[in-house]
Order: sequence, then C-alpha cells, then structure tokens
Amino acid sequence: MNGEDTSSELSTGLEFAGHALSRASLDACVKCTICETQCPVAAVTPLFSGPKFVGPQAERFRNGESVDHSLDYCSSCGTCTLVCPQGVQIAELNSQARAVMKVGHMPLRDRLIGQTVLMGTLMTPVAPLARAVLNNKPLRKVMEVVVGVHADAPMPPPQSQTFESWFAKRPTPAGPFPRGAVVFFHGCAGGYFEVETSKKSVEVLERLGFEVLVPKQGCCGLAQQSNGLFKQASASVLKLCDDLRTAGKDLTIISSSGSCTGMLKHEASEIMGVDDERLRDVGTRTRDIMEFLLDLHEAGELPTDFATVEMTVPYHAPCQLKSQGIGKPALEVLRLIPGLTVVDSNATCCGIAGTYGLKKEKYEVAQAVGKPLFDMVKATNPELALCDTETCRWQIEQSSGVKTEHPIWMIHKAYGLS
Amino acid sequence: MSRVVVIGAGLAGLVAANRLAEAGVQVVLLHKGLGGLQLGQGTIDVFGYAPARVSNPIKAVGSVATTHPYAAIGAKAVLTGVDYLKKLLPELLLGDPESNYQLPTAVGAIRPTCLAQPSMIAGHVTDGAKLVIVGIRGLKDFQPQLVAENLARTPLPDGGRLRARHLWVDVPARDGEVDSSGLTYARAFDDETFRVRFAKAVVGQLREDEIVGLPAVLGLKDLHAWRDLAGKLGHRVFEIPLPPPSIPGLRLSEALTARALAAGVRIVPGVRTVGYASSGDRVTSVTTAAGLGGRSYTADAFLLATGGFESGALNLDSHQVVRETLFNLPLAGLDQTPLIHGEYWGPEQPLFKVGVAVNPKMQAVDAAGIPVFANLYAAGGIIAGASGWTEKSGDGIALASAIVAAAAISKELA
Repeated sequence: MNGEDTSSELSTGLEFAGHALSRASLDACVKCTICETQCPVAAVTPLFSGPKFVGPQAERFRNGESVDHSLDYCSSCGTCTLVCPQGVQIAELNSQARAVMKVGHMPLRDRLIGQTVLMGTLMTPVAPLARAVLNNKPLRKVMEVVVGVHADAPMPPPQSQTFESWFAKRPTPAGPFPRGAVVFFHGCAGGYFEVETSKKSVEVLERLGFEVLVPKQGCCGLAQQSNGLFKQASASVLKLCDDLRTAGKDLTIISSSGSCTGMLKHEASEIMGVDDERLRDVGTRTRDIMEFLLDLHEAGELPTDFATVEMTVPYHAPCQLKSQGIGKPALEVLRLIPGLTVVDSNATCCGIAGTYGLKKEKYEVAQAVGKPLFDMVKATNPELALCDTETCRWQIEQSSGVKTEHPIWMIHKAYGLS
Repeated sequence: MSRVVVIGAGLAGLVAANRLAEAGVQVVLLHKGLGGLQLGQGTIDVFGYAPARVSNPIKAVGSVATTHPYAAIGAKAVLTGVDYLKKLLPELLLGDPESNYQLPTAVGAIRPTCLAQPSMIAGHVTDGAKLVIVGIRGLKDFQPQLVAENLARTPLPDGGRLRARHLWVDVPARDGEVDSSGLTYARAFDDETFRVRFAKAVVGQLREDEIVGLPAVLGLKDLHAWRDLAGKLGHRVFEIPLPPPSIPGLRLSEALTARALAAGVRIVPGVRTVGYASSGDRVTSVTTAAGLGGRSYTADAFLLATGGFESGALNLDSHQVVRETLFNLPLAGLDQTPLIHGEYWGPEQPLFKVGVAVNPKMQAVDAAGIPVFANLYAAGGIIAGASGWTEKSGDGIALASAIVAAAAISKELA
C-alpha cells in the first residue's frame, strides 16, 4: 500500500504487453468470434463488449492506454484464450491492457485484496473474531461503502491454525517413503484459510509413499497480478521460486491451490512477461495435485484400493485450472472411486475469477455468470460439491449454499484417511 | 484398454471421437481451440457443386476423379456417416443423401446442402412459395431487403420462382444494448417471454400463407424455440444462417461435444500439439505445449483431424514451401505450378487442394502409397484433393473420413 502503482510501473515496460509474444499473437486473430461465443461475462451483461473487441481489436489501436474502457469488466477468467483456435492470447492481452489502464488510479481496494499473506497473518490469530466480522452484515455494509468489497461477496474463512504450524507441530510421520520426496506448495489460501485441504493433500501423498517437504514459502502474487500490480507480483513470484527451490533440485512440486499453480506454470510468464531461469525451473516442475495423481494412474502407479463412496457429487473445473492445458484431471481420478458418480458442471465459470466477484461494481455480474453453475450444484447434490480452487469454492458455497471442497477431500476419504 | 489420441475438434475430430468411444476405445481429444463447426452454417454439405449445382449428392460422390478424397472414402461411408449423424442428433439434422435441400442464404442466394436443421427446412425453395423475410433492427448482420429481393429475382434450381417481401421489427435483445450479436439474440430467444414479445411485434404484419424467414438466432439451448415461435405466429418459419457467430453451427458443435463427453471422451482443450515421438513404424506419443512445460500423451493410434491452412495444420512459407505442421507428413498436390496464380477472380488456386494423401483406411501415406506410420490416420480438411468450399463437400469429407478412420482404428486395436 505504498502507492507503488504509479509512474514506476510504466517505466518497467508496462506500456504494452509484458510479454511481447502476447502482443504479436493478435495478428493471428481472424475475427472468427469463437471467443465471443464462450465469454461468460459478455453473455450476462452489455457492460463488457466482449473479448474480441476489447482484446485483439482494441489492442491494435492501443498506444499506452486501451481505447475501450469496458476492458475493466473482463474478469480475466481466460476462457477466450482457451477456446481460440488461432493461438491468440486474448486474456493475457486484456490483463496487460488493464494493468496499463489502472496505472495512476489503482483503487485502494485493489491493492488491499492482493495482500493475501497480510490478510492471513492478521486473521489467523483472531480467527473467531475475524469470522464474526466477516459474517456481520452491518459491518460488511460499511466495508462495501468504504473499501468497495460487496457485502454479500464470499470471504476467506479464517482458521485458528495455519498449515505451516500444523505441519511443524504434528508428530513426524513414520514413513516409509519408498517413492522419494516431493515438494508441497500450499499457496496463501492453502496456508491460512484452506488449511484442511493442504493437510489432506499431504496425508494422501504420504499414504502413496512420498516424503512431503514443505519449505518456508511466500505468495505467488496472483491476486496482485490479476489486479494489475505487475511489479509487486513479479517480485513475489520470483521470491516464491527461490523459496521452493530451497527444498531440493529436480523434485516435483505439488499443489492443491489450482490457481497458484497456474501462476507458476504460465501466467507469470505469459501475462507479466517474467523471463527468468528460476521460474522456468519451478514452472516446469509444478503439478496440480489431481494432475499428479492422474499421471501416477496413467503410469500404473496409483493404488486404486478406494473404499466405496455411494454418492452423486457435482464437480466444477475452475477457469485457472482449465487454462493450464491439462483438461480436467480431477474428473478422471474421482471416477476411479467405486460407487461415486461425478457430474461435470460443464459450466464455463463460477463468476468470482479470483477477486473480480468481490468488487461491489462487479458483484451482480459475477453472480449472473455463476448462476447456471449454482443451480446445477444445488440440483445435483445439496450437501456437497467439489472444485479445485479456493475462491471458486467460496463463491459456489456462498451463492449456492452447498458445502464445497477440493476433490482431494474425496480421495482422502476413499483411501480411508477420513 | 486401447487408447486413441484424436487431434482436432472440428466435425472430423468430434465424429471420430464419438465413434471410437462408442466402440469401447478410450479417447483423448486434444484441441488448440474450438473447431470450425461453429463458424459454418450448421448444416452438412455432402456435395453442392460438381461443378454444376448438385441435386443428388450421393450420386455425385460416386462420380469423382480418383484423386478426390471421396474416391478413397467411398460412397458407402458417406451414407453411414449421414445416417449416423441423423440418428445421433435427430433434433438437429434432417435430410436425404439422395436429395439436396436448396436453402436461402443471408445474401438471398440459394445454397444446396444435404442435411439441414429442422428450423431451416421450411425455407427449401419451391415454385410459387410466398416468403416474408423479417429483419431485426438491433441485428446488423441480417438485411432482409437484400435477401428478399435477391430471392424474388432468382430462377429456382428446379424451375419456377418464389415471391418474397421483407419487413423490419424493432425488438431489442436486452436492455442497454443497441447493436446485439446474433448470439445475444439467440440467448434472448431461449426465453419464452422474449418469444412472446417478438411474436407480438411480427404477427400483425404477416399475410395469409406467408412462410416467415428469420435470421438463424431462434434459440441456442432451446432447440424447440423456433417451433414455439412458429406456433405463436401461426405461420411456417425458417432460419437463415448468418456469418459467425453462427448459432446453428454452435448448436451442432455443442451437441457433438456433449455426446462425446457423455460417451467418456476425455477432452483437453486449449493445447497446441507440437511434437511427437515414434518407434519403428509407429507413433508412440504426441506432446502438447502447456505453459512453460509440455505434456505427452501416449496412445495406440493417432488421428490427425487438424484441418487445413485456415487452422494452421498446413503452412505455406515465404519460399512457397508447404508443410504439414505436426508430423511433417509428405504432401500431395504440390506438382501443380504455380500453386497460387495471380488471378483473384480466376480459376481455383491449386494450393487449396494440397494436403495429406490417404489410403482407404485413412492412414496417411507417402507418394508411393505406403503408410508413413502404421498407426497414424487422417480425417477432414487435412486430406488432399478437394476444395471443400467450392464443391460444398467439406462436411461430407470430414464426416465420412472420420467414420472410415474410426472403423479402421477400432478394427486394428480389437
């Protein structure tokens, strides 16, 4: 909150794309409109003119700031890039253009909500109080007016113990670990708020015979990146790479924070243009935990002695997972559990898109984007839904009233660990 | 369980994936973006011009030169494919392989096609028909006067003429927008309250016995929206496809994708397949570019359904060298020079017949007819020997080559 979003950002090469290749890719746009047909935001509001207009078209006219300010309504869900048959990095172009547009008038809120470590550090010691505050309607109304975070928007659930503290204090696991070591990257949410998901991930990995190393680690900078604070986010992601590299060379890095893995795998390089050997090293070693389990299965190395779980459960693949180009690994792995019927939401987006759906001026749009998903979840199983990323889970849970957990919860249960 | 990797999500890739999954094969479908189906008209062209207008498409399929893809594919596979799609998507495709529909286009021309959506059929041109073409003020991609006047002055393929007039209505698709895309209108038509409002604006302007032509935006998810609107109007109604975003194309693409997913096909979207590994005469895996790393997919067989120049499956460089961009396969059709002549309105450019040669199993073959790899097959636009858009044969080639390739792969892996 030191006002770093001002002129210093421009001097770091933000006038145009952080990544020159993104900008070059706009020439491949043939205006086929496929991105327009899949954009979840343009579908529900005329306030956003759509990814093609705002992206490759407006980019041609951009000299510094974008000519199309409806750009601010892009949620950066990345669907346009995913569906483009010509390889145009539409979402990346839009994220870059928005970062430029916000230089000099970055709202305080957008700087605050990128401070995920700070939020966790402040809330954990006073978790019951923080929970009470976040659930208090009048206080949330005040927060909406003062900060601009919608009173009904989902908030991270404060926990009394961090993952780090649990990991350090628990009895040392006996092993054996015949499969060697892996590094666990918990992410901020997995460290402070979604602690149970991180614990279960570690326990599943240990059950499979891996020794789990957890180096001290900071934030990947994703929330700052999605709010256009590229300078801080680039520093964060490289610091994180250093942190993760301390655990050992060539080890697989596994995470149950689906969006943070996306930051390491491609967003830092493709959106912010971070070109650094440390990022390449970490990015190529990083695996989403369900992706890792599917890899094991395909290699014939995943024990499938799962207990029967008689249940029908909706599963939603988050945008930031889909953007990693790995399909929907959780779906494949969950389908190995006997008795379990997993129903793919096939929904494009839940609406939250990181921090987009929290913002008071975007809240209604985000709710409209997610509505078909919320309806599907409620109709499929009013007790439980599965989804790989934190903010999406909070959004689904808040808007549908259905408890939403990471798919690893189901694997943990089916292995008899819970 | 055997595994097949299909690359490409156009008509060929989706049909092959469905057929293979139905045959009990595990299918991974890789695509670098959504396929071209949703850019098309949402119909299945089998043979439209040979080069004269075709009325019996399957007969035209049986009469092609030996270099044409249909020669290797065979008319039987085309019939199988047409029958398969009609049974798979009964709410979306109707038609007879022995008789083309002749349907009005968005510029008022008359286009031959084999299978069309039920919402288009009432537009099949007949002598003496009375048409009224309805434009919507907020939808700039559809000019009803152009359509009506061109149709009215055109002698029909089977002789005779029709009568056509036009009218406009002004019913916004949603508040806060004056210039809506066809997609926004299609979503509005999914909603019955919008259809009621729309019908109210139109019905008073209709004359007895008129058939009502509308832009093809009559519902995206609700495949009966057009029928409901016809009921509300008390007139027969037909849709005229628009330039992209094509709603009938989207319906087809979404329906085939949904069926593939239901059949257990694993789809990995948004990844460009950039490399492969082989051992002896077999491809063992392909590699996709995904972020900073890449991922490999091993399989027992591979189907290349990547399209042509328009999708980057074929590439022409500044030295006039044409390449197939994934496997660097040998290409057919390069012997004609120049590949591109300078006459823009002149005869067809030879370049567009360049592609991969296939044998009757749809294995990619070299100039001597030998398979390049024993387990590498090709389907759709990548196959050499036809210009799909001038003949209006691209859908039929994609469909039938996918049928043949899927059958050959299933047999090989059994």
